[in-house]
Amino acid sequence: MTAPADVLIIGAGLSAGIAAKHLAEAGFGVVCLEQGEWVDPGALPGNKPEYEIAGANSWYPDPNVRGRSLDYPIDVSESDLPLYMFNGVGGSSVLYGGIWARAVPSDFRVRTLDGVADDWPISYSELLPFYEAVEREMGVSGLNGNPAYPAPYRVPLPPAPIHRTGRVMAEGMNRLGWHWWPGTNSIPTQRFGAQYECVRYGICRMGCPQGAKASTDVTHYPAAVSSGAQIVTRARVAEITVDERGLANGAVYIRDGVRHFQPASLVLLAANAIGTARLLLMSSSGRFPNGLANSSGLVGKRLMLHPYAASVGLYDQELEDWLGPGGEHIGSMQFYETDQSRGFVRGARWSLVPTGGPLEAVAKWKLSGEEFWGDGSADRMRQSIGRMIQWHIVPEDLPEETNHISLHPTLCDSDGLPAPKVHYRVSENTRRLVDFHLARTLEAHAAAGATRSWIAGRNYTSGHNTGTAKMGDDPETSVVDRNGRTHDVPNLYIIDGSVFPTSTGVNVGATISALAKRAATYLVTHRRDQVVAS
Amino acid sequence: MTELEDEQRLRLAALADVLIPGGAGLPSASAADVAGRWIDRTLAADPGLAVSVLAVVTGDVEDPHMHMKSVQHEDPVLFERFAFAVAGAYFMNPEVRRRFGYPGIAPLRLPAAPGEAEYYLEDDILAPVIERGPTHRLGDLTGS
Repeated sequence: MTAPADVLIIGAGLSAGIAAKHLAEAGFGVVCLEQGEWVDPGALPGNKPEYEIAGANSWYPDPNVRGRSLDYPIDVSESDLPLYMFNGVGGSSVLYGGIWARAVPSDFRVRTLDGVADDWPISYSELLPFYEAVEREMGVSGLNGNPAYPAPYRVPLPPAPIHRTGRVMAEGMNRLGWHWWPGTNSIPTQRFGAQYECVRYGICRMGCPQGAKASTDVTHYPAAVSSGAQIVTRARVAEITVDERGLANGAVYIRDGVRHFQPASLVLLAANAIGTARLLLMSSSGRFPNGLANSSGLVGKRLMLHPYAASVGLYDQELEDWLGPGGEHIGSMQFYETDQSRGFVRGARWSLVPTGGPLEAVAKWKLSGEEFWGDGSADRMRQSIGRMIQWHIVPEDLPEETNHISLHPTLCDSDGLPAPKVHYRVSENTRRLVDFHLARTLEAHAAAGATRSWIAGRNYTSGHNTGTAKMGDDPETSVVDRNGRTHDVPNLYIIDGSVFPTSTGVNVGATISALAKRAATYLVTHRRDQVVAS
Repeated sequence: MTELEDEQRLRLAALADVLIPGGAGLPSASAADVAGRWIDRTLAADPGLAVSVLAVVTGDVEDPHMHMKSVQHEDPVLFERFAFAVAGAYFMNPEVRRRFGYPGIAPLRLPAAPGEAEYYLEDDILAPVIERGPTHRLGDLTGS
């Protein structure tokens, strides 16, 4: 019989890694069940000639494109955009860009300030110590003093160069009087614990072959394992089980086609806003007929995806636009806060990111209004490759119950478990927000001296999946409380991006990490008061 | 792995030249050996592209320009996949990469030099940003 875990963590991604390390080092017996495998750094494509081909296929962030049996398929036929995630130790942090952005104080008071959505039950100041703690664990590099945040704003490691791209754009932003700041990335500029120094491959979104970028397979799991945590890979959880008191007492998982049961005193769910909601819905029972922890009816609802947009500009000078970190070279929060006169509420953060390679530069021509291939293609290559600056904007995506995931009636994963179906439409507020911000980025390109600029895309998938198990004080209108504990099952916690009441307008990794750290800290502090399964 | 036949490689070279005829100091697709070792490397990296490449290069191709125009008009998705494979093969050629200023056959280790971060921030370029002060709202709501 399998020995019971003090804490069973479902998933081994970003939030799970932070919690697993924290709890294992505090003496908890931790078991993580992860449907993927450890990533072999030598297999990552970023320093190989085929990097852009593999990065668009076997290392692409859309599981439907990768098509691995370790992933699960996602029906996006009723979604305005596909979904990104990665199933493996480290989770989506393996393939994220490493842009590190805290939310700002107003993000936690959306209802109070702007009259929409909901306030968070916690504030910026409550989360701040945990932001700072995880920034020390993730090797975050940047420049102190960013006026986009309350002072003092401090970053553990010095910034990376902003490069020619950042310098050219910074001069343009200064001409406009707009905010910008050197990039803040969870990519160390010097050797930092288990992380190596960034060597600027510029392909962070395909996984870091250098072991520099903070993905938790590098930063957290080795230390967690050293402290006794057990990571069970190829273990796909089919159901969270409950005892006669309604407490979570473990999980049934499938490994190599065989069903197993992992008993546990406490269960932490960290399977991504899609996988977490999917598993709660799959864990229905007589006691929980609508899915586990779903008395509010909100499990799976309020899905937010940050449909990001991009613009590009072409410049006369050689910019070495492929140089990392990628990550961002500079960021801007000039238009982050609400201004009702713009015709929408909330805002977006901008990141100037490297193009990564020639194929990506070419791909940006699709919406330029000019055919790329054929006569003159050599000139267009000359104009753009190495000479392109791109702004990515992350728009705040407000929660709507109509944006949700459900269990697919027929589509299954490789173990026969129902796939999630995504129902997602970009809202009118988001559409207006994106239009406004794209227009401003074109002005920024003009001010920076671009010879030509255009909108390179809308509704790109960010991988910022949030909102499907809302955090709140009221059990009737939320799934988890301020510490991540589900209202319905007092020894079941959700520690991933599912709990976001609103999506913020920044990359979500920092806030997911801080929330996971906060929940783990709470569990250690309150270990004697915590009810557990028998 | 899919191995293209000689006839298919000949057609691929002609069709790829329609997309990338060269000029401006750059070789054409055929001169860059897109239809040789580089398409092989591309298809090895993504075997799923072979279907699209084969669909375009199999059969009679009397006029490469008309053929590509027809593919683009009748099946834009196929055209995009084919163009991606051709471009992927082209940009994998080290000589092509060199002519664009890339320092190696793949992204290279280029750690920042001492003082490089400071260099790009010279001339007090951040001063106006700092002088303008906070961009965030309502510091008085930061408390719990």
